[in-house]
Amino acid sequence: MQIYLPIAELSVNLFFLVGVGGAVGFLSGLFGIGGGFLLTPLLIFTGIPAPVAVASVTGQVVAASTSGALSYWRRDGIDFHLAIYLVIAGIFGAFGGVSAFSWLRQLGQLDLVISISYVVFLGSVGGLMFFEAARSLLRRRAGVVVRDKLPGQHNWIHGLPLRIRFKRSKLYVSVLPVLLIGASIGFLGSLLGIGGGFILVPALIYLLRVPGNVVIGTSLIQVLAIMAASTVLHAYSSQSVDILLAFCLMVGSVIGAQFGASAGQYLRGDQLRALLAIIVLAVAIRFAVTLLFAPSDPFSMATLAAGVGL
Amino acid sequence: MTITLSRLLVLVLTMLAGLSTAAHAQRLAAALSSITVSVDSSFAGETLTFFGNIEPEIGSGVPVEGNDYNIVILVQGPAINRVVRRKTGDLGLWLNTEQRVYEGFPSYFWLLTSSPLGDIADNSLFDAEGLLPSSQPLLVPSTGNGDLSSLSQELVRLMEESDLYGVHDHGVIFRSRTLYSASLSLPANVPNGNFTAKTFLFRAGALVAQNTQSFSVRKTGFERLVGSSAKSMPIVYGFICVLLAVFTGWLGGVIFKR
Repeated sequence: MQIYLPIAELSVNLFFLVGVGGAVGFLSGLFGIGGGFLLTPLLIFTGIPAPVAVASVTGQVVAASTSGALSYWRRDGIDFHLAIYLVIAGIFGAFGGVSAFSWLRQLGQLDLVISISYVVFLGSVGGLMFFEAARSLLRRRAGVVVRDKLPGQHNWIHGLPLRIRFKRSKLYVSVLPVLLIGASIGFLGSLLGIGGGFILVPALIYLLRVPGNVVIGTSLIQVLAIMAASTVLHAYSSQSVDILLAFCLMVGSVIGAQFGASAGQYLRGDQLRALLAIIVLAVAIRFAVTLLFAPSDPFSMATLAAGVGL
Repeated sequence: MTITLSRLLVLVLTMLAGLSTAAHAQRLAAALSSITVSVDSSFAGETLTFFGNIEPEIGSGVPVEGNDYNIVILVQGPAINRVVRRKTGDLGLWLNTEQRVYEGFPSYFWLLTSSPLGDIADNSLFDAEGLLPSSQPLLVPSTGNGDLSSLSQELVRLMEESDLYGVHDHGVIFRSRTLYSASLSLPANVPNGNFTAKTFLFRAGALVAQNTQSFSVRKTGFERLVGSSAKSMPIVYGFICVLLAVFTGWLGGVIFKR
């Protein structure tokens, strides 16, 4: 069944959109990621113009994170105190990201920066997570008891000043790394058109030692806030948010996210991290391939909005 | 002195042109099946029918003779700004290094002809009239860097692959000696806006008469509302999108509460 998308100005199969939304929503519920870094390339591959795909996916990520966050909220899996610090810093970061976005577009190097950033961030985060999770899995298999909270885990970050007690996360940590992480995710999220959950979750785990039972719920709050701000920004600056496209994806992803969130309870943290690492690495490799190998068609075309120069 | 001479020349040429048109003494009576193509939620393309008749010029009294007429219908979409980019692998990375922006480029360009173009008239005539897909990029101003002619060729190829540019030989069918009809399938990705359909009558390699009609492709109902509100009140539209997303996410959470 075909459905006409009023902003993209083309028709797409409705079941395909809901199905793709559902698959990505499942992963988003499972790992606490927005799924934007998977969904946007998939839509562009389908033939939806890139600006419409990027802008509409931000709307879909809002829905998926709302649904995921609610599910973690009911299980008391959110540290709101920590989330507020992340969100406020994140919104400041998002403004920086938007400025960098227009500056790079003026230079004509936006595509390059986005591709390289995907490879660098997805590749390094995915690689680190994969090795850490694999080591943890191997040690567990070898019979070594791995506790969720390791003794003597405090690193240099915990020695910084301006410490604040986050009760829910059982953390007493400096506010500086919290604000820095929040701002960086806001910056990258608005620059790359992604929620940034796949960077935020490992950063909270490895840098701040946020416990596994609140890390995903808390990161979902941050992703929700940043993507809601980005949706409004995209609607204002490029008018390329297709509400119908976003809605089809939302319906699929909201359903998928519920199953993902409950499936996540049957998997251990290291298993989840290993699976997420494999997906993140796969996307990084996909981007690396487009950078390193000759494309089948070196030519591409796009429509420029009236008044937009090079 | 020279100015007067050139003016005289222009005058003479204009008169000659008028004479030659009069000598043909044919005109086109043309119409199309609908002047508005409505795009709604189930839009998956639409077929338009063009039809018309070759008639003697009003008042000339000379009947239409012969059966060696040819019809070419050019359907052109609204002008947009297109950018075409080329990737090169200079530094070990494949990057867009060349790009050109074509300003006022036709978003849709289809030719329907009663015979292959080569049999109708000389290619240079079509080219001069801008009647070929390949002549389009040369007619609009472009900015940017990179080889203009090769990027222009590739732009036409990409448009053809998207079904937005093309030539349909034998797309026009003569129902009688003077009556013709043609049908054109607009694809689902047809751009929205005002279109023109120019019908050209050729005889013995020369352009005899032409006729222009227009139609528009526009969204209706909900699709129209979405399209116009996204443009006229973008901030409100953005907040509505966010609210819809939060509501959908919340509703999903309530429905699937376990």
